[in-house]
Amino acid sequence: MSFKIILAVVAGIGVGYFVLPSEILQYTDYILDIGLCLLLFFVGIDIGKNKDVFDKIKKIGFRVLLVPVMIIIGSVFGSIVAGLILGIPMNEAGAVGAGLGWYSLSSMMLATYSSKLSALAFISNVAREIIALLTIPIIAKYIGDIESIAPAAATSMDTSLPLIAKSTNPHTAIIAFISGVIVSTSVPILVSVIIKL
Amino acid sequence: MSIRLLLYLGILIIGGFFGYKGYGGKKLESKLGTIQTVCLLLLLFIMGLKMGLDEKVISSFFELGFQAIVISIFTITFSVILVKLVKGFVLKNIQQGEQNDEL
Repeated sequence: MSFKIILAVVAGIGVGYFVLPSEILQYTDYILDIGLCLLLFFVGIDIGKNKDVFDKIKKIGFRVLLVPVMIIIGSVFGSIVAGLILGIPMNEAGAVGAGLGWYSLSSMMLATYSSKLSALAFISNVAREIIALLTIPIIAKYIGDIESIAPAAATSMDTSLPLIAKSTNPHTAIIAFISGVIVSTSVPILVSVIIKL
Repeated sequence: MSIRLLLYLGILIIGGFFGYKGYGGKKLESKLGTIQTVCLLLLLFIMGLKMGLDEKVISSFFELGFQAIVISIFTITFSVILVKLVKGFVLKNIQQGEQNDEL
């Protein structure tokens, strides 16, 4: 799936650059707006299906929610600090960080704002997932089990979960899943709030 | 709060409700998965089109790549540090919970 996603974007860039006239640009925003609403509906369905998450949180204890909260704060704060160094406005850098590894949704949400920022969100969040897959086993071994959930952020409920489970223990895998659901739910809200700041 | 945010939230909540109630059953669910994938790939293609049509994106592609990697490294580093700070507090509770379960 990740490969198909990257291929679809790269094919779009290629066709846009080499084939289509720039007059088409005025119509893309309408399609993206309608498409985004449809996509958010599907995202809602996926999140709603994980109804057992509430029971898991109750069983483990509400303190477990600190893990996703810290991942969110750390990611947004980290991207703002990086933005200050790179000379990117705080709201733009923060919105890229608020993508939390969910590159398809975050880049799509920022596409109507600016295609440059959308590209930055896409590449940055793809890079986050790749770095996460490379560093999760190392962080689990040398820093700690729970800390290994942090690089994965939103992907800790799906694509990174098998790796976290393999690198840590069943307990951490449950926390990773809960954290992934909470972090994923916050992405559409945070990206649209932070970009408006 | 802007109207756009309210709209996004509303759609998310409606979708969440449908997912929670499990409307449509397994058959529709598998079809929905295919529709979802096709929609997503088509939208990403259009998003790519928009990037390809924008000279600013193409001319600053390598600069964007560099910025993206710096941002991702910072987001990961800060989130690992913050999780490490609360780890003791979170785990203490889980271990207590386990002991209570055993009792």
